[in-house]
Amino acid sequence: MKKEDLFAKLRQGTCQQFDMPKEPVKGIVYDDVAKQFIEMSKTVGAKVIEVSPDDDLNETIRAAYPEAKVFASNVEGVKADRNPDAVAEAADLNGTDVGIIKGVFGVAENGCVWIPQTMKERSVCFISEELVILLDRNSLVNNMHEAYKQVEMTEYGYGVFISGPSKTADIEQSLVMGAQAARGVTVILIG
Amino acid sequence: MATSHSKKAAEFLKNPEKITRHDQTFWSVREKRDKMAAMLPEWEDLREHASQIKQHTVTHLADYLEQFANNLEKNGVIVHWAKDAQEFNEIAYGILETHKVKKLVKSKSMLTEECEMNDYLIERGIDVVETDLGERIIQLMNLKPAHIVMPAIHLMRDEVGEMFEEKGISTEEGNHDPTFLTQCARYSLREEFIEAEAGMTGCNFGVAATGDCVICTNEGNADMSTSIPKLHIVSMGIEKVIPDYDALAVFQRLLCRCGTGQPTTTFTSHFRKARPDGEMHVILVDNGRSDMIANDTHWKTLKCIRCGACMNTCPVYRRSMGYSYSYFIPGPIGVNLGMLKDPQKHSGNVSACSLCLSCDHVCPTKVEPGSQIYNWRQELEAFGTENKEKKLMANGMRTVFENYALYDTLLKSSSIVNYVPRKLFETKLNAWGIGHEMMQFPKKPFHQIYKQAMKELKEKK
Repeated sequence: MKKEDLFAKLRQGTCQQFDMPKEPVKGIVYDDVAKQFIEMSKTVGAKVIEVSPDDDLNETIRAAYPEAKVFASNVEGVKADRNPDAVAEAADLNGTDVGIIKGVFGVAENGCVWIPQTMKERSVCFISEELVILLDRNSLVNNMHEAYKQVEMTEYGYGVFISGPSKTADIEQSLVMGAQAARGVTVILIG
Repeated sequence: MATSHSKKAAEFLKNPEKITRHDQTFWSVREKRDKMAAMLPEWEDLREHASQIKQHTVTHLADYLEQFANNLEKNGVIVHWAKDAQEFNEIAYGILETHKVKKLVKSKSMLTEECEMNDYLIERGIDVVETDLGERIIQLMNLKPAHIVMPAIHLMRDEVGEMFEEKGISTEEGNHDPTFLTQCARYSLREEFIEAEAGMTGCNFGVAATGDCVICTNEGNADMSTSIPKLHIVSMGIEKVIPDYDALAVFQRLLCRCGTGQPTTTFTSHFRKARPDGEMHVILVDNGRSDMIANDTHWKTLKCIRCGACMNTCPVYRRSMGYSYSYFIPGPIGVNLGMLKDPQKHSGNVSACSLCLSCDHVCPTKVEPGSQIYNWRQELEAFGTENKEKKLMANGMRTVFENYALYDTLLKSSSIVNYVPRKLFETKLNAWGIGHEMMQFPKKPFHQIYKQAMKELKEKK
């Protein structure tokens, strides 16, 4: 089908035209954004660890996952066995116990964290058994309206809001974590 | 007299235990939605915005599609336009064939269901693997989705467990625990993701201003399907385009709260470009949508964002299950979409509505599916699919109501009906008599009692 034909048909067929609403939505605002974010993160199944900027992140991560053997990350200063920038194929990251990535900001209303692609193989965000998201405490926003004003893509042209671990309720409505992507998510709130 | 829907529903109602469970499951989802709505003081404002943004976008669709496609192409995405299901399937197959794809991992898309793409590709030798767990279960059981968001929720854990054993996905006989079964599916699907040469996703929202394809999942299967294989095909109905990120915020907040009662889907994924060394294609599909826009009464159906809230709340859907409907999308929105697609074929569904309008009240974009079903009912005569017996009855009633003498005589002698044997009422000729207790007609009609009472009142004065 030629797109011009479709456009012509749509323009001709439209019965009546409407304007966009003028006033924006006044989104909910919280007294304590961090408290709400932590609460919502827990509701959606994520763990939250609060640390100060001086704490040793590698120690915090190792303490959170004492059993884990294979770590993958390209975040500066984070010790890892695999680097998503250096692997030959996305599938080479399969078998990663803990993937460590950086979030840009978090959303208090629903526990979403914005993660633009900053690595060659983004599969590290999904293929890892457990996911650690590093997040600055000062980057939290109230709601998705504020969030989308801040969304910026990297050159990779991909980004994702993640809110807790992969989950499903497809069998008899029982909630199960770890359907496809990470079974668990830990947000390390820095600051 | 019974419509196709009520006949099929009667079949499912033979298993009252299953229907009760179905009813309760979806009602609990509706309750979760209410809790979510109550947490946001701006809830109604959000719905009104969503409605207005959609009615603006849908009535300026050509402009937004143009902008969307231009932005996609600027980012190196290859854009295709498909007039109908056939063209869509051909384009999808063409891309896969060029890349010599043998296995395609698919993130759930109702559009591919609409176009029956899976069968088309499988016939041509491509292994199509559904990756949403519910959808995978349905596919392995050779069934169709019975709900647009929770496609396999009508099945019991034992049914899934036995099928997994049969297919070799689970090796532990008799373990039908949902957590265990989900883990089995996780391992099995991992292999599929790694083997596949291409991934296909649907698209919840296409953002015109930026050229983002936004996909919302809880399992992350859209991301697994597109972060391992290098070829990504997006299948998208043309009505999914929205203006910008500000509009997206409104819909992102509503979609999941309305659909499953969660504050958000776990993953809200934005695809703007192909992966490094990869290719991204977007197939924009009309398949009748441009005709819907030209329907003066029913174009609003295109405002739907497919959250499924109308199904969850619908007392008829909850008690009759998805398969009672002749169209592949069930429930209130499905009744409307079916009628827009082929009214002759799908008129049997418009009776599947009690006109309680609960769906109108929960719909995030104010499509008003229930009110629209009412309108469809008024139009049935034009399609020749109206109920002939009901029409005969209505004409008979009109004769009675238009002739006072006749009405009065019938009313006075109505109590005779009380002496007619019950058996005569419980026939197929009287559909109302089935499952209902016949009413008792009073010996004295109300008119007479009223007149007498007024007379007595006057005399006392």
